[in-house]
Amino acid sequence: MSFWRQAFEIARKDLLVESRTAEVALMTVPFAAVGLILIPLAIGTDAPLLTDLGPGLFWVVVLLFGVLVILRKSAVDGGPQRDLVRLLGIDPAARFAGATLATSLLVLLFEVLLGPVVIALYNPALDGWGWLFIILPLVATGMGLLGSLTGGVTTSLGTRTSLTPLLIAPLALPLLLGATQALESLERGRSILPWLALLAAVDLALAVTGVLAARPLEEAII
Amino acid sequence: MKFLRTRWLEVTALLVVGAAVVRGVTVAADVTQGDVQRIMYVHVPAAWLAFLAFGVTVVGSVAWLRSGKPHWDRLAASSAEIGVVFTGLAIVAGMIWARPVWGQFWTWEPRLVTTALLFFIYLGYLALRRAVIDPVERARRSAIMGIVAFIQIPIVYQSVNWWRSLHQTSSRNSIDAPLRVTLWLAVLAFTFAYAVMLRRRLELSLLEAALELRQLEGSQAVAGAAVVAPSLEKAGHHG
Repeated sequence: MSFWRQAFEIARKDLLVESRTAEVALMTVPFAAVGLILIPLAIGTDAPLLTDLGPGLFWVVVLLFGVLVILRKSAVDGGPQRDLVRLLGIDPAARFAGATLATSLLVLLFEVLLGPVVIALYNPALDGWGWLFIILPLVATGMGLLGSLTGGVTTSLGTRTSLTPLLIAPLALPLLLGATQALESLERGRSILPWLALLAAVDLALAVTGVLAARPLEEAII
Repeated sequence: MKFLRTRWLEVTALLVVGAAVVRGVTVAADVTQGDVQRIMYVHVPAAWLAFLAFGVTVVGSVAWLRSGKPHWDRLAASSAEIGVVFTGLAIVAGMIWARPVWGQFWTWEPRLVTTALLFFIYLGYLALRRAVIDPVERARRSAIMGIVAFIQIPIVYQSVNWWRSLHQTSSRNSIDAPLRVTLWLAVLAFTFAYAVMLRRRLELSLLEAALELRQLEGSQAVAGAAVVAPSLEKAGHHG
């Protein structure tokens, strides 16, 4: 079986498990929506202020609640599942690519479902919204890659649920910066290409690191 | 003579740090900021050392993944610990400097925010190390995290250029010569201090590894005494 075929099958397996519970659509998105409703109650319900804050809050919520997408139960393989994948001779790099593909698609779904909530609640300016077709997948890919890497290093640890968010949230800074600054540049009529380049560069760096680290990670997880 | 031969690094560090302190206190202060500017001789070298320390962590991490030799893991971990201390020092010194110059300890300034997040990234790295008990497994996981964490460094470094905010851009070549010489001397002093701390921490981590091994062997002996192979004689008796 080719590398990409293996990766595709791993992603399909992860998405199938996720589709049975619909954890992202039925639990994480509503939880994030509750967060978006509560924030104005804390910072004030001034409409112009919320319009200004809307896009930034969207990305912060994607970053913080997106960790729950990464930590979802369907992303956790138990010992027997890992052993089976090893015995099947799946390339660790293909496994990393597959897990990343599945998580990225779910983060993208999370972003897409949360977008209308932000538009409805905060009424943000939607200048250059077409660029979101590039920005959203770039951020989702970055989150997926970070999730696979940090999820990999914390697999089977007792402190996984506390440690993984601590590792992901600060490391996701370039993604948050790239996304927020790109939207701000659009609003001010400046070029957003440097920010897209930053997002793409971070994704590429994480992908290369992930593929190279896949085999050592596989050996580390007993 | 033997003392100098074995402790030449400590002695040199002491001399250079002493010279930097004297120079830092006696050199003419900045005309605009006055004496408060002297904190630059702590803030800038501490930030530089944080970068250096995390750079050494990456080198140790990559080398461990290539060779699997434990001393590379110890180097990566020891350097990360020192790096966290110096990142904290850079942040605190920066805040003390910011109060009289910017009017507040903390502003939402890109360099400050990215540096604070860098501090938390490496705290996470150290937390990961504590969470894994098996030494080889710990080394492997930490090595990968040590490499991933380094992605943040160029962003912290470039933040003053990407967002022109309150924090000044690199000024090492634009300040007056006496101040510049003092700053370079302080950087040298901090680098020597780092080398001494790293050496000491490596010695300590070697002792920690030996202790860990002894504890592991001790716990194995207890388990070994508790779990014994079934005796045929006894099995026959019960049967």
